[in-house]
Amino acid sequence: MRKLIWLGFAALALLGCRASRQNTVTAYVSEDQVFSEPILKDFERETGIRVNAVFDTEEAKSTGVMNRLLAEKGNSQADVYWANEPVRADVLRQQGISTPFQPSNAKEIPAQFKDPEGYWTGFSARARLIVVNKNAKLKPVSILSYVDPKMKGRTVTANPLFGTTTAQMAALFALWGDEKANRFLDGLKANQVKLSTGNGESADFVASGEFDFALVDSDDAVSRVRQGKPIEIVYPDQSDGEAGVLILPNAAVLIRNGPNPENGKKLIEYLVSKETERKLAFADCAQIPLYPGVETPKEIKPIEQIRTMKVNYAELGAKLQVIEPMLKKWAGY
Amino acid sequence: MGWLLNAKRATLIAAALVLTFVGLLPVFLMIVESFIVDGGISLTNYIDVFGNTRTWALFRNSLALAALTTVVSGTIGVALGILVAKTDLALRNTLAIVFSLPLLLPPYVLAIGWFEVLGRGGLLARLFGVGWGEVTSRWLFGLPGAVLVLASAFLPVVLLLTITYLRGVDPALEEAARLASPWPSILQRITLPLIRPGILLSLVLVFLLSMGEFGAPAFLRLGVFPVASFTQSSAFYNFGAATAAAAPFIGIVISGVLISGRLLRNKAYSFRWAGRDHAIRIPLGRRSPFVLFAVMTLAVLLVGVPLSGVLWRGASTAALTDAIQRAGDSAVRSFVYATIAASVLCILGFFLAYIVHRRALLAWWWLDGLTLFLFTLPGAIIGIGLITLWNRPSTNWIYSSPALLILGFVTQYAALGTHMILAGFSQLPLSLEEAAEIAGAGWFRRVFVILVPLLRPATLAAWAAAFIFCLRDLSLPLLLAPPGGDTLTARTMTLMANGSPELVAALSLLSIALVVAPLAVLAVGWHAWSKPA
Repeated sequence: MRKLIWLGFAALALLGCRASRQNTVTAYVSEDQVFSEPILKDFERETGIRVNAVFDTEEAKSTGVMNRLLAEKGNSQADVYWANEPVRADVLRQQGISTPFQPSNAKEIPAQFKDPEGYWTGFSARARLIVVNKNAKLKPVSILSYVDPKMKGRTVTANPLFGTTTAQMAALFALWGDEKANRFLDGLKANQVKLSTGNGESADFVASGEFDFALVDSDDAVSRVRQGKPIEIVYPDQSDGEAGVLILPNAAVLIRNGPNPENGKKLIEYLVSKETERKLAFADCAQIPLYPGVETPKEIKPIEQIRTMKVNYAELGAKLQVIEPMLKKWAGY
Repeated sequence: MGWLLNAKRATLIAAALVLTFVGLLPVFLMIVESFIVDGGISLTNYIDVFGNTRTWALFRNSLALAALTTVVSGTIGVALGILVAKTDLALRNTLAIVFSLPLLLPPYVLAIGWFEVLGRGGLLARLFGVGWGEVTSRWLFGLPGAVLVLASAFLPVVLLLTITYLRGVDPALEEAARLASPWPSILQRITLPLIRPGILLSLVLVFLLSMGEFGAPAFLRLGVFPVASFTQSSAFYNFGAATAAAAPFIGIVISGVLISGRLLRNKAYSFRWAGRDHAIRIPLGRRSPFVLFAVMTLAVLLVGVPLSGVLWRGASTAALTDAIQRAGDSAVRSFVYATIAASVLCILGFFLAYIVHRRALLAWWWLDGLTLFLFTLPGAIIGIGLITLWNRPSTNWIYSSPALLILGFVTQYAALGTHMILAGFSQLPLSLEEAAEIAGAGWFRRVFVILVPLLRPATLAAWAAAFIFCLRDLSLPLLLAPPGGDTLTARTMTLMANGSPELVAALSLLSIALVVAPLAVLAVGWHAWSKPA
């Protein structure tokens, strides 16, 4: 009898889960949960729409939910994909997973950070910066310092198969061409560059003095500065004629055939708003606002003061798919 | 009568089919799909995996981790089991409970605890300087650290099985031997040989559980099969590669199941856990205080230190409030899922145990082996199988609901319900059911009026074990929980990415409370219920 009661509860719980789907939006999120969840909670409070979110783990990096979206192509569960960079967002466009939507809140966001057809809209960016240990004898000024023989065995980078480091590699292949980029990858191996599991770990390695420098995301750099770690931030390749810093905005994507597209649009409007950019700038992730005039915390430069890498994110998305098997081989996967 | 016989067979066949359909079919489908590349049959996935040196490095790591964990937990667990079950050591039952605590927790909680002590910014670094932290952190984030964590996590398996089997030894045998031999000789020649199947079974289980563990090695950044398999499935969604990567592991699991089946076959072993403890005890005499000191030190090291690490970092009002705000809903869901899954597992386990104990179907041995096989498979493999089977529009009502996760739990932990209730069956005289049958009671009546009430202690124990394992599981919820329906373990893992150490430690404390509190309530309730009026 008792088991029957339990089963009744079970059935009710399952039914409850299904019944509560009416005023909901399902979001797959690559941005770290600690930073993205408060924004989603604010959205819930302000609109009354419940957000059912799926977040990536550290192990799945930012590839997990994107690949889940690919696997669910014929059986879409998500309405919105909050990507932590636009390259994978564009892969979804190329794979026919996303659908165009141009949010009215994003009109002031510079065109280079939006898909022209509206398949993704950028907001709150991270910059790919170099963190250098304060006691390091040599200070890098360029990403090419990784292959400087004087730095042999003294540098670390996150595994290029995951997260924003993949986007960085795709950008280098697009900017330099395959030959130079492959030489760079070979140079990394020859210079005994250590592969870490993520940008956060790279920043910690540098802070502890195990390595002299690492290319990381601006949020990893700023959080270590705020923790009082002995590191300096370098904006690489800032001189005339140099490539500049790769900027990786978050990207909001509307999923084709999602269960609640209207709520999905509302969530995207919320994500790309000035208010969200301000919140993300002053959160621990210290993301760089793309709207002109939104305040930034003191540890990071406003977007207007950074020499940025001129890239076409759609091109990077295509490049990423081409170079991924090669990167897997390079990383031993 | 004929109808009743048919009803019995139909029920038992239905239970067997449920296990086969829910458990085996997804795994089978997943293996089939791993041979399909671009619409054609291909060995590409396997050639890629087996031709990759990384695969063999992962294999070496996994084997080393499992072997070392088995040696460490086996050595300590058997010794402690003998001390608890065969000697007059003071506080032995309390110590057994303390050493068993890690079994209640997800192993990654222990890893987090050790990280708070041995990590770069850990307790040791604060006490003795950063240099210490650097050394101990390097040690922790590697094979030694993973062995330490998993050995303390799985030591209770060896300890509890050793105690259980020791209590099953007929005291008359030892008493007779005492007339001619001292205790060390009796232990060596009579007691230990008698419980050898139990010890070997526990070692096989620890080996397979260590091989399949995902959470702790992932936290400690140790490259092993389950982590690689999870990465292939979760990060790349390359199910074919993930399955191929798991092939050597599946081979080992099948070997383990065959070994354990061989160990237990024809061993009509009767547990005596319902009765009073009549074991004759070895007096420790003057060695007693030293032995007690050594055992307590070990308890502090293996259990006290990691739990203190978590408490030290996470037991602040601010951190706990943050943890509850961020993961309170996940904790409730974990509880609900585990409750449902444990109840289903007990119902299914009852009928499967009946099949195995009474040899009621020809395939009883196969079902027995299947539950063990599924129990020791990594959760990522079961998860991939279930996604492969259910991720289609026609079955979306399962795929998009918590039912998929419940199916995962039932698949993975069918062995717990089956084998714990099977142990209860082995204590019941067959004559009870036979007498009722002669008196004209039908099968369902015999089941519900005789067997179910008599098996209540075993069923409750099975429910508690299944509840704990479902509650502490990590890789199944990570892959199978629906959007907005994650569990506390999954939430903890996703919040680890850039979450503060205080928050992660507080979430670990929440995990501990979530397991311990319901069990305490259950124990108190059972005590009150079973007390004579």
